[in-house]
Amino acid sequence: MHSLSRRLLVSVAVPLALFFGVMMLVLDTGFRTLSERQLHALLDSQMVTLIAAAEPNPSGGYDAPLTGLDTRFGTPDSGLYAEIRSSNHVWSSPSTSGLQIDFGPPLAQGDRQFSYAMVGHGRVAIESRGISFQDETKQGEPLTFSVAVSLTPYEQQLWVFRSRMLGWFTGLMLLLLVSLAALLRRVLAPLRRLEREIHQVEEGRSETLGSGYPRELSGVALHLNALLVGERKRVARYRDTLGNLAHGLKTPLTVMRSALSSDVASGTQTRTISHEIDRMTDIIEHQLKRAAASGGALLGQAPVAVAAVAADLRGTLLKVYARKDLSIELAIPEGSLFIGDRGDFIELLGNLMDNACKWCRQRVRVSVTVESGRGEARANLTLVVEDDGPGIAEENRAKVLERGVRTDEKVPGHGLGLAMVHDTVDLYGGKLTVDTAPLGGARFSLLLPGKKVG
Amino acid sequence: MRVLVVEDEAALRETLKTRLIEAGFTVDIAQDGEEGLFAGMEYPLDVAIIDLGLPKLAGLEVIRRLRAARKAYPILILTARDNWQDKVEGLQAGADDYVPKPFHFEEVLARLQALLRRAGGWASPELKCGAITLDTRAQTVSVESQAVELTTFEYRILEHLMLRAGEVISKGELTERLYDQDFERDSNVIEVLVGRLRRKLDPEDRLKPIETLRGRGYRFALARDQAT
Repeated sequence: MHSLSRRLLVSVAVPLALFFGVMMLVLDTGFRTLSERQLHALLDSQMVTLIAAAEPNPSGGYDAPLTGLDTRFGTPDSGLYAEIRSSNHVWSSPSTSGLQIDFGPPLAQGDRQFSYAMVGHGRVAIESRGISFQDETKQGEPLTFSVAVSLTPYEQQLWVFRSRMLGWFTGLMLLLLVSLAALLRRVLAPLRRLEREIHQVEEGRSETLGSGYPRELSGVALHLNALLVGERKRVARYRDTLGNLAHGLKTPLTVMRSALSSDVASGTQTRTISHEIDRMTDIIEHQLKRAAASGGALLGQAPVAVAAVAADLRGTLLKVYARKDLSIELAIPEGSLFIGDRGDFIELLGNLMDNACKWCRQRVRVSVTVESGRGEARANLTLVVEDDGPGIAEENRAKVLERGVRTDEKVPGHGLGLAMVHDTVDLYGGKLTVDTAPLGGARFSLLLPGKKVG
Repeated sequence: MRVLVVEDEAALRETLKTRLIEAGFTVDIAQDGEEGLFAGMEYPLDVAIIDLGLPKLAGLEVIRRLRAARKAYPILILTARDNWQDKVEGLQAGADDYVPKPFHFEEVLARLQALLRRAGGWASPELKCGAITLDTRAQTVSVESQAVELTTFEYRILEHLMLRAGEVISKGELTERLYDQDFERDSNVIEVLVGRLRRKLDPEDRLKPIETLRGRGYRFALARDQAT
């Protein structure tokens, strides 16, 4: 069972049903006992009346005149029947006319019997007693007095009772379960809120979880927030440290370089030192930048608006390449979003566009298509940067994308920037391909994670 | 040519000063953001070199304030922070070029000189003349609210013509605005560019924004809107 609510409801329903079941059983038994006692009481009192009313029949046996009896004995099929049997005479109450009732075997004096029989469509309960009247003249002859009462009214009563009871108890149980379900919804509302807020943080719509959670959840919320904040701080601190390190190293390097180039004596030593300074610079550029890339979207970051970033970079590059007559076209649908770190994305696109501007003859084009593949949870971005320059020869394409290309191996002109692009794309689980653009130069196509769909 | 160098690292500052003087510049120096801002405001400069990581007042802020005060000379940024986000920020704040540290002095010099040749100043953010609007920050052009894609040189020619709307600009002057180098350029290049410009701006030949004055040059025929 994967739902707390359902679990609870089922676990409660079972003992509840058991409890109600037992209760119904108890009540039922009680009712039946009561009914039976009523029955016996009725039979007894009728029996007594019958015996008291019995009068000897001149030709033997006894009769019971109707005047002393319950009127029902006189009405056919009334549900109350009586019989007085002696060895040679049987008196049956008029109510038995047309019916076959087996009152049971005759009894010896003092015997009592209680039995059931079928009469027509219904059952009857029969009480029989063996009686003999004593008087001065003769030995009392053995008589069997029997009274039968139809069980139909009792059975009907029981049926009504049972169906009512069942109805009420079932209704009660359903009501209880429904109330419980509603109560659960209320009680678990903070959990749903937690879920909603985490979703919002994932989408980048808010940075942390809210406050005001109940005691049991506040611990979770607080710790989660601490985790989010701590994580962001850590990355920021890490980047700052690396940035400062880079800055710190670059300044002495700059001084060294300037000092060297103004030095009149240019011998092998100067050249060697100059070369090593260049290498150190490259390492700083490449390694520190790679290490500082955040590498993946942190929870709670707002998504990056691609069109705005591209427009900014276009403005910057037009200034940087002011010596060149170029045009940078942007074909980016509004609302295209990149899910990830903004710094990473700017560096990525900046490097690609810079490369295109450097090598193009006149035209650079940046286009974006947003697609959600079948059954994908994300609408992925395809980012294409192309130029009309000389392009990249097929044999060099793999090298250009090679990760961590060392300075002495790099393809001339296509430097560390592209390796960084490849690293970043990898980090985000995307794909980078290089081929020839329709414009004639190089075309770089990137597949990057986009907005979550649904 | 008078140049301001704002750099907090002493050794670097001195090196730059020495070498710029050698190259023929008059050099003013400042060692923090506040001094830099003061110097930038008060002295009649032709160009400025500003480091971003300054004490007292950040380099970016200095640039923004200088531009807000309508100081129009070109500004070159020098900094160790060599990522695109900072580049974009720096150039949007009002700088014209960006040289990462460590640098070769020769490159800085070359870029300085290029900036000086091109210097048209920092125009107001939007230029509007009739149906043609120029967004100088984004470097985009729209004609009757429709965006038009221009190359860098076409844009620069249009910008210069619009800034001096109504005045006659010679081909030579336009050539100077486009190219760093001094050598002879085929004057036909300007004609070709203006032709392309006309076709892009005014395909149906309705607006006629650029007039040709034989033997003298070109003139932007639409009047500049008062607001810009």
